[in-house]
Amino acid sequence: MQKALLLSALASGLLLASSAHAELNVAGLANTCNNCHGTGGVSAGESMPSIAGLPEGYLKNIMMEWKTGKRPSANMTRLISGYSDEEIAALAAYYSKLPWMPVKQKTDAKLVKLGKKVTEKCAGCHGDTGKSEDADTPSLHGQWSQYLQLEALKYRDDAFNMPNKQMVKAAKKLSDEEIKAVAEFYASQNK
Amino acid sequence: MSQINRREFIKLAAAASSVPVLGIPSLARAGAAKAKVVVIGGGYAGATAAKYVKLGDASIDVTLIEPNKVYTSCPLSNEVIVGHRDIKTLEIGYDGLKKRGINVLHDFVVGVDRAKKTVTTKGGKTLPYDALVVSPGIDFHYTGIEGYNESMIEDIPHAYKAGPQTLLLKKQLEAMPDGGKFVIVVPKGPFRCPPGPYERASLVANYFKHHGKAKSKVIILDANDSHSKKGLFNQAWAKMYGWEKEGMGTNGMIEWVKGAEGGTITKLDAKTKTVSSDFVDVKADVLNIIPPHKAGKIAADAGLTGASGNNFEKGWCKVEPMTMASAVDPSIYVVGDSCVAGEMPLYGNPNAAFDMPKSAHIAMTQAKVAAAAIVAKVNGQAVPQPYYANTCYSVVGDDYGISVAHLYRVEGGTFKYIKEGSGVSMMTMPDKSPVPAAYRKLEAEYAVGWLRNVMADAFS
Ligand SMILES: Cc1cc2nc3c(=O)[nH]c(=O)nc-3n(C[C@H](O)[C@H](O)[C@H](O)COP(=O)(O)OP(=O)(O)OC[C@H]3O[C@@H](n4cnc5c(N)ncnc54)[C@H](O)[C@@H]3O)c2cc1C
Ligand code: HEC
Ligand code: HEC
Repeated sequence: MQKALLLSALASGLLLASSAHAELNVAGLANTCNNCHGTGGVSAGESMPSIAGLPEGYLKNIMMEWKTGKRPSANMTRLISGYSDEEIAALAAYYSKLPWMPVKQKTDAKLVKLGKKVTEKCAGCHGDTGKSEDADTPSLHGQWSQYLQLEALKYRDDAFNMPNKQMVKAAKKLSDEEIKAVAEFYASQNK
Repeated sequence: MSQINRREFIKLAAAASSVPVLGIPSLARAGAAKAKVVVIGGGYAGATAAKYVKLGDASIDVTLIEPNKVYTSCPLSNEVIVGHRDIKTLEIGYDGLKKRGINVLHDFVVGVDRAKKTVTTKGGKTLPYDALVVSPGIDFHYTGIEGYNESMIEDIPHAYKAGPQTLLLKKQLEAMPDGGKFVIVVPKGPFRCPPGPYERASLVANYFKHHGKAKSKVIILDANDSHSKKGLFNQAWAKMYGWEKEGMGTNGMIEWVKGAEGGTITKLDAKTKTVSSDFVDVKADVLNIIPPHKAGKIAADAGLTGASGNNFEKGWCKVEPMTMASAVDPSIYVVGDSCVAGEMPLYGNPNAAFDMPKSAHIAMTQAKVAAAAIVAKVNGQAVPQPYYANTCYSVVGDDYGISVAHLYRVEGGTFKYIKEGSGVSMMTMPDKSPVPAAYRKLEAEYAVGWLRNVMADAFS
């Protein structure tokens, strides 16, 4: 499946280069993202996620979900609509090849402790520390705590109707305090 | 997807790709610098240009010239005026750039000799360049309003360059009695941060609500007939500040008077803080005149600005879409508020040709395009395909943020505004139901995350 993907990516790259379209410059495309996501995709802002080093499958999937209107977002749906499917695939490949850089941040020890306990039931998919182990699951370890909280709240809130129903189910079981706690726990796993 | 396949793919893809990994600068070569790049002005545009030239090729010698040791961000400075934010959170120095090997010269450029390719500074230095980045931001036209001049800004602040002016307006707001009038005079476009004056009006109304001054008014006297994110602002104002409709004398806390109906101010009586148009006289308790803008003076002195044309041409620097190079000098790149670029169907009028909005966000994407073009030129490579993007968040109340985005590509050598990838926050949900408060709250949070990232992406 991956080889097919690669071939099609290369083929589309060739197509792009030889068509009337301008040549795809993925680093240039990424520069338009990094104003918000940080130099090299590593965020310096607590509410914005780092995106460098996320799994390619996850990156591509959620960008396409935004573009096709399946995944609600206050910003990304609008922004990503301006990029072609080829560009989205190229961006997913580009960011996935950059290293995941957990951010150092202050966390609340008490909440971290509670979070460790609560996330035991998440470990089946997110591992013990939130380190991504498969292509469709994002890395959580050392992601910004505030971003993780905001995102967990979105999974829980019907107003967002997030497409991944397993995550919706997991989030719906969490209280406000537990949401803070899981975010603080994963954020503290910044190695 | 199995791990083995994934690894295999990464290897294959890495081998097939020549994409440079950002954040890992190429090794500097020993010996003399390959080329000298000088940057005039260390704002969002200039700082980003300097950093990204260095990231692109560490062997290029980069000098940034900026008079101030500390830069104060205009974005989110409206929050300072109403006491939501300490101005210190908007300040940043140049150590980050110095650590990257950029020479930072705290001085002021007084001349550009385009024939000799040198710049001279107030401090008496002359610096040669192979490529020059001109990013001095904006200067104001203090003409146009009879009775108004630059010496008055200590009493009638513009607060449109962040710093002492911001704090002055804050002090005046705090001293204003309940029932007073806070008047914002908006110049004809283009001005930096198109939603800026309306964000300011929103936050000032919010301040009135929270500080026992609910009988006070914000009156926006606007030389334009429409404004950025108008639908979204009006919706927010109706929700929070009793907005009824356009025009003078309405019941809400915010009044907006368009140019055609008396908003174009032509006269000031500074003693009584009374501003007048053909239709109205308004006596202000706090008067905030934002003067019309033009490119930073040095851009005009260097002969880079248009001498004629409409508001969007005269006084601004035209650039080449592929590279941000000046239309009159291929060795000079003009980025940020000083340039005029693109074609944006503004405020619902698809026939009107205007320039890219003047924002920190787009200034930075322009700077990155210029940096890539400079690095390519120095290294004898083809010009990389450019992309330009903007987002302006506005925080307009408690837990209430809205935004507008723009995307531009270059096709056939001209800027092309991409409708998909642009636009404002939702007015309603797709099924026409009201937008849940959670969405507006998220955008207020994202505005702050955005600020931290643009400051870091430009200066660290
Ligand atoms: C109230 C307000 C709110 C805003 N909010 C937002 C927002 O939310 N989002 C957004 O994207 N944008 C926002 N902006 C717009 C943003 O501030 C500008 O678009 C941005 O600062 C442009 O960057 P610049 O580098 O071109 O200019 P500037 O940031 O003005 O920097 C120019 C620099 O050049 C220096 N300089 C000038 N002349 C010389 C010379 N001769 N020699 C050496 N140095 C010189 C100056 O000292 C200055 O530091 C806002 C603006 C205002 C006023
Ligand atoms: C104006 C700011 C802004 C810009 C520009 C921007 N993003 Fe985002 N991005 C956000 C915000 C805010 C979020 C988090 C909320 C959400 O999911 O909508 C986000 C989330 C993401 C995520 C999800 C991360 C995760 O951990 O799940 C990815 C991936 C992403 N963006 C990729 C991109 C790419 C690629 C670009 C450039 C084409 C880009 N973004 C441009 C603001 C921005
Ligand atoms: C069945 C597997 C599964 C379980 C159980 C699960 N998750 Fe997830 N989680 C995922 C997947 C898959 C995603 C990406 C979903 C998507 O595309 O929207 C995700 C996304 C997330 C995100 C958003 C990350 C980002 O970068 O946007 C957070 C936060 C999160 N999970 C936390 C948790 C917590 C806390 C628990 C336990 C209470 C949990 N998850 C349980 C699979 C799971």
